Amino acid sequence: MDVKKVVLAYSGGLDTSVAIPWFKDNFGCEVICFTADLGQEEELKGLEERSKRAGASKIYIKDLKQEFVEDYIFPTLKANAVYEGKYLLGTSISRPLIAKYLVEVAEAEGADAVAHGATGKGNDQVRFDISLQSLNPSLKVIAPWRIWDLGSRADAINYAIARGIELPVSRGPYSTDRNIWHLSHEGADLEDPAKEPPGDVLMLITPPEKAPDEPAYVEIGFEQGAPRSLNGRRTDAVAMLQELNRIAAAHGVGIIDMVSNRLVGIKSRGVYECPGGTVLYYAHRELEYLTLDRNTLHYKEGAAHRFAELCYDGLWFSPLREALSAFFDETQKTVTGTVRLKLFKGNCISAGATSPYSLYQEGFATFGRFELYDHKDAQGFINLFGLPLRVRAMMKKRAGLKK
Amino acid sequence: MDVKKVVLAYSGGLDTSVIIPWLKENYGCEVVCFAANVGQGEELEGLKERAINSGASKIYIEDLSAEYVKDYIWPTLKADADYEGYLLGTSTARPLIAKYLVKIAEQEAADAVVHGATGKGNDQVRFEVSARALNPRLKVIAPWRLWDIKSREDAIAYLQERHLPVPVKKKRPYSVDRNLWHLSHEGADLEDPANEPPGDLYLMTVPPEKAPDQPTFLEIGFDQGVPCTIDGQAYDGVALIEELNKVGGANGVGLWDMVENRLVGMKSRGVYETPGGTILYRAHQALEMITLDRDTLHFKQIVAQRYAELVYNGLWFSPLREALASFVDETQRTVTGTVRMKLYKGNCAHVGIVSPFSLYDEGIASFGFSELYDHKDAAGFINLFSLPLRVRAFMKERVEQK
Repeated sequence: MDVKKVVLAYSGGLDTSVAIPWFKDNFGCEVICFTADLGQEEELKGLEERSKRAGASKIYIKDLKQEFVEDYIFPTLKANAVYEGKYLLGTSISRPLIAKYLVEVAEAEGADAVAHGATGKGNDQVRFDISLQSLNPSLKVIAPWRIWDLGSRADAINYAIARGIELPVSRGPYSTDRNIWHLSHEGADLEDPAKEPPGDVLMLITPPEKAPDEPAYVEIGFEQGAPRSLNGRRTDAVAMLQELNRIAAAHGVGIIDMVSNRLVGIKSRGVYECPGGTVLYYAHRELEYLTLDRNTLHYKEGAAHRFAELCYDGLWFSPLREALSAFFDETQKTVTGTVRLKLFKGNCISAGATSPYSLYQEGFATFGRFELYDHKDAQGFINLFGLPLRVRAMMKKRAGLKK
Repeated sequence: MDVKKVVLAYSGGLDTSVIIPWLKENYGCEVVCFAANVGQGEELEGLKERAINSGASKIYIEDLSAEYVKDYIWPTLKADADYEGYLLGTSTARPLIAKYLVKIAEQEAADAVVHGATGKGNDQVRFEVSARALNPRLKVIAPWRLWDIKSREDAIAYLQERHLPVPVKKKRPYSVDRNLWHLSHEGADLEDPANEPPGDLYLMTVPPEKAPDQPTFLEIGFDQGVPCTIDGQAYDGVALIEELNKVGGANGVGLWDMVENRLVGMKSRGVYETPGGTILYRAHQALEMITLDRDTLHFKQIVAQRYAELVYNGLWFSPLREALASFVDETQRTVTGTVRMKLYKGNCAHVGIVSPFSLYDEGIASFGFSELYDHKDAAGFINLFSLPLRVRAFMKERVEQK
């Protein structure tokens, strides 16, 4: 493959640090780095020098937090999309955004390829590759992990040492991915699902056992399905999520431990910390209970399932994902109001919700008389609702069917 | 019930002619009539006189054909929605009629709206759910659920006793609903699904056996899912459907004989004629074959099923119907192109599809090599696609050994 200039999604970790000299050795090409600030809270300042010392000609560092929250997290929240009942898609929805800017930088730089450090066994390679290909089908995508001979972490360290590349500080035995929405842990002793995650695996969240004995109350204000205020204060989305992460994490909320089906056919075990996200999903759902009619709510649950699959499988930039978002946006027109929640030792408990568009009417659900609801109507309703089953019962009798 | 003024959905047929005097006798109220032209092709001119002669104080006659096509038929076509195979002709017209009933009732400060649908059908639900969704304070009166009139003879006797005009007696024994999109037949010998529909049943369509021996070809152009040309010539929605009804009907296209599940819990037998609609559904689906990706197409098929249920069940003015329509509209952005159709003795097939947004690439689908598709990729793909089944097979082996 003839490559003159490549843009590499660079994190500063071991894999992408090794990738820089590897590209120069194997393709003789110029390497430009791109780093997205998605709220990973790691030191981004030293990155420029480190990437240059490793051989990069240039590095772009871009703060994408705002775009990530507004254009990727909130649409997913409005859908209430959850993969396999647990995972709030923190890594899944960040990859397409990184890919979008990789393409943008590659086009601006006239590069002929883009590269990422995802391995050949995971979901992220799919998410990167597919997003990149859907945005610019002419760009080459290079995934060194699918090509090189480095089979392990130790191989990569040796490769780096042999070329005088400084090793990044190790972040512990687990493979992690962090952004403003979540933090994931995989690998090492977590690989055995029979084992409880050790107490020190968590980096953001206080384990429920150590959380305060007093609950914290939070009040979240939504406008058309998007959270816009916290405890009565209207703030920008990034600041609000950071604040909510802090409060929820302190109360042990948002730990997710699961075995999930990777798209490549493998089951894998992951532990996720998603404090603010867990609270927002819970609150959003509470508000939808008040504001959505039965048909919309039930159908939306099915659509959310498909939306989550698309996000997880890397199909963010696909027509179905976009069409489903149009559906969700239409459902969110009246999902406006405030939800109060109690956070207590890992629990997220409803403590009151209000909406100007509430469909709940006290007069109905309780036993009072009300002009709209006449108890006598129920007789006719039930007779007709059950009619097909009565017809069937008569047929069975007539035909002598026992079962 | 205290009612001073009502607006009646009036067709000029026997039932609604009886309803006018019945309302006046039982409520002492003023009766304002409303007749919608949704392309039923019946004489609307004599209606005013007939309504007044029956005792109405006023009649509104509105041509809603264009709105019917644009806002009710096209969204349903874009969704490819069919209910158990039925193309929803009556179902889509009822909410539109209800919309104008409510509008006129508000304008006239009436306190109730009235329709002539019976207590056993779907239409009562469609009228009333639509009317309530639009104005929850208006009363709805459905005389068929209240009065003692049980038959056609009762109704005629009711009018004769009062020396009121009796609409000309129909010769046909079937209950019919017709509009621009379709014509339905129910009742009489059709009620037994063991009976084949009689040869003289059809009013829009030539039976396939009597259709021409030569096929007819026509080319339909779509713009974002909406049909807009026939053989390169631009048509407005109403004229386009009229033209396709003519051509489709002449070639025996669009007959649909079914036993369907009514919302009120019973099965009923209906025979439908939807010549133009059938051509448009087939052509639209053909265009989607080349313009929609797999994921969108498959999901849209499930959406269509739910959409059809909502429309059939009278839930047109509901948030889910509207949200599904937003989904469908988004999918239609590239459903633009032309489809050549061949009509022949009841058959309706696409014989040529072209779109500037086609996703079909001859180079990929055929056996040549191309840069996009490397045969070697297939090995890796299949290995990973089948991995969960291989893992399961290993698991079974392991368990059986124990």
